[in-house]
Amino acid sequence: MNGTRRRRTAWRALLVGTLGFFVVVCAFADSPSATAVLSNSEAAVGETVQLQIRVTGARSADAPETIAVDGLQIYRTGTSQHFEMNNFNVTSSVIYDYTILPIKAGTFKIPPQTIRLGSNAVHTPELTLNVADSPGRSSSSRSNRGEAQPESANQLVFAELVVPKKVAFVGEMVPAEIRLGFDPRAHPELADGPEIAGQGFTTQKLQQAQQNLETINGKTYDVITFKTAIAATRAGRFEIGPVRAKARVSVPRRQTTQRSRGRPFDLFNLDDPFSDPFFADPFGRLAERREVEMESEPATFDVKPLPPNAPPNFSGAVGNFVMTTEAKPKRVQVGDPITVTSTVSGRGNFDRVNAPALEDDQGWHKYPSSSKFKQDDEVGISGAKTFETVISPNEKKQALPPLGFSYFDPVKEKYVTLRSDAMPISVEGGAAPAVVASQPGAATPATAAASAKPSPKPQDILYQLTERPKVAQSFTPLYAQPLFWTAQFIPLLALLGLVSWKSTQARRENREAQRVAALQHEAAELMRKLRRDDSSPQEYFSQASRAVRVKTALARNVDPNTVDAETAAAAFQLDEDSRERLRRLFERSDELSYSGAHNGAGGISAENRREVLELIENLRP
Amino acid sequence: MKPMPACFGKLLPGFAERSLYSVIVCAFLISSAFAQSDATFANANQEYAQGHFQEAIDGYDQLVRSGQWSANLFYDLGNAYFRTGDFGHAILNYERALTLDRHHPEADANLRIVRDEARALELTSTLAERYLKFANVNQFTIAAAIALWVATFCTVALIFARRRSGAVIALSIVSLSIFAGAVFAIYELDNGSHGRALAIVTGMNVQARVATADNANSVLVLPPGSEIRVLSNRGDWIYAALPNSLRGWVPAKSAEAVRL
Repeated sequence: MNGTRRRRTAWRALLVGTLGFFVVVCAFADSPSATAVLSNSEAAVGETVQLQIRVTGARSADAPETIAVDGLQIYRTGTSQHFEMNNFNVTSSVIYDYTILPIKAGTFKIPPQTIRLGSNAVHTPELTLNVADSPGRSSSSRSNRGEAQPESANQLVFAELVVPKKVAFVGEMVPAEIRLGFDPRAHPELADGPEIAGQGFTTQKLQQAQQNLETINGKTYDVITFKTAIAATRAGRFEIGPVRAKARVSVPRRQTTQRSRGRPFDLFNLDDPFSDPFFADPFGRLAERREVEMESEPATFDVKPLPPNAPPNFSGAVGNFVMTTEAKPKRVQVGDPITVTSTVSGRGNFDRVNAPALEDDQGWHKYPSSSKFKQDDEVGISGAKTFETVISPNEKKQALPPLGFSYFDPVKEKYVTLRSDAMPISVEGGAAPAVVASQPGAATPATAAASAKPSPKPQDILYQLTERPKVAQSFTPLYAQPLFWTAQFIPLLALLGLVSWKSTQARRENREAQRVAALQHEAAELMRKLRRDDSSPQEYFSQASRAVRVKTALARNVDPNTVDAETAAAAFQLDEDSRERLRRLFERSDELSYSGAHNGAGGISAENRREVLELIENLRP
Repeated sequence: MKPMPACFGKLLPGFAERSLYSVIVCAFLISSAFAQSDATFANANQEYAQGHFQEAIDGYDQLVRSGQWSANLFYDLGNAYFRTGDFGHAILNYERALTLDRHHPEADANLRIVRDEARALELTSTLAERYLKFANVNQFTIAAAIALWVATFCTVALIFARRRSGAVIALSIVSLSIFAGAVFAIYELDNGSHGRALAIVTGMNVQARVATADNANSVLVLPPGSEIRVLSNRGDWIYAALPNSLRGWVPAKSAEAVRL
């Protein structure tokens, strides 16, 4: 019960806290304010500009339907409401959209507007709009005005080909840009292209470089820029382009073919498709997707031929290049491969850049080169092309001959040949095969080096072998063959035998040790009893004789019950006197044991005890 | 002692007879197969001597396909390929001969000649491989097995001995060291540049490329007979370690593994 009540109390506290928080948030909400922005502060006569008045901190306001400015027609075209929550701060705002149509050139000031909010009022700032008299940008772009396309769609896109250089040499890479502009409100989508039409030149693969918003003649366009490079394949004057592309854009669906003038939403009787309410309320009417063809103006291009007297190793490279070379290893034997890495970097038509060639290839065998190109720009006219060429010396050499690479420099308008320095290397040894072939297995590097002469005709191989082993050989390594693992059973069995034998031996040794320990323990116990004088003569002599037997058994490793006086005396190599005393000890013990307790004295004298003890203690092997 | 059932008395002689008969038949079949392969080998040699190198190659190939492998067979096959101008296959078969018998002087000599002719590129051996070339994988395997058993026996002896003998301890340590060294050598030789992944370029105008496409950039041009080490396979392409410490993709049909 208590738990339920406590939970209910906690929930109530949480609810009260939340409500309190929102009350505080609302109390500290910003006071109402108004802002006004123009979609563009520059416009031309006849081009519409959007004005947006935003009243923040209010859910409803009273804004004017029209704004009176001489030379401008301003009508309200839409209202929307926004709620934002930022760090638990809820903000509501009302947005009023106006469309401005300049009807004459000049600088216009849109006065502050008073927006009423119940009993309060807020004011917008004053705005300035510059209206130019020019009709708008059309020189560098034009849209295809096919019959199938409505006029409104053509106002939404443009295409442009920018070729900064108008004069070039054959093969010279000239960077070019294709710019495709779209009205962002039309939700454009590039459907096809762009492609550059024309003949007599090659283009690099188009690369989309950037996409950004640009304002052109007062209109905002989403401009996609493609970069490429153009290289002429023949001399002469020809046109590049036009650039063609196709795009899909959204335009308002037309109800009738004849445009109805005086529609409530086309306030200014213009062809601007965005004066349609579709763009203010896209769900109010369905849009229509149309495909638009885009086409730019062509660019003219003067191409000069390359001058004659090209160097012999000129492969058509035009541009500006530098070359570096490297070879490794530097120390080889005759016939060993050396990898020569040469890098041609710079700017130009890298597809015509071939591997630098050895200026003197006598005594060298050259393999075909491999290359890889690392471009530094989007279109591949700037970068570094690396060639790897494997060469092998046929004879002793001290240096790698210089490598040469020729190209045409369009700036200097002349051919340039790059030369690497001769790289010092060490080529040792000679052609070993001749020696080996004649004396198989006997050649050493030293003898091979001594006979290093380039052979003019190929060596012949050795004779056929007609013998064959009786058993087929195998490529399978020994460790992967079942026979090898089967053979391991032999040492394994031997190991198991060894372990078994050693275990048995250890157990046996263990039993012997236990027996010895028991006898030692018994001997010690008997000696302790003998030192006491509380036992009867029968017990005393019996223990004494047993002690002798046990000691003898320990010394001789025999059963103590089989020991007699002679055996003990022999075991300890006693003298005659001790032997006699030992014999008497055994006789006395037997006498007392077998003839009854009444024979002999009733006790043992201390001297007798000492004598017996001394005898037994002196029994040492 | 239980008396043996009568049926066993009848069965056992029959079983023994059948076993003996089977052994004789097998021996006969094996010997006849070997005699047949001997005849094929002799015929191929004869074709070679008469200058019919393609026929000789067919004969040797028949033996290779039947698994009757020997160093001399591969050597002769290499010679036949050399005569037809197919340096890639010639080098491949000399390499196979040397894999089966690393001290095959004729194969070694001819391999050098063909490599010189073909300008074939070779893989560079690692330092460990160069030092371990004094023995082959099988010899290191035997050394490892012997060393392991010696070390095991020494360890058992030490466990059961009353007194630890210094000599036995030293012998076991030395044996274990030899075992470890031999295992390392086996691994290095088997996985090295001339190990089980060694393949020979047999095609003409083969280029190793950076990707599995015929129009991909070239890494290295591989003359026939060049050595490559197969790292992985993907479809019709082999990713391989190439001479000059390069790596690239080579068409699978352009190279053949040395070890069958």
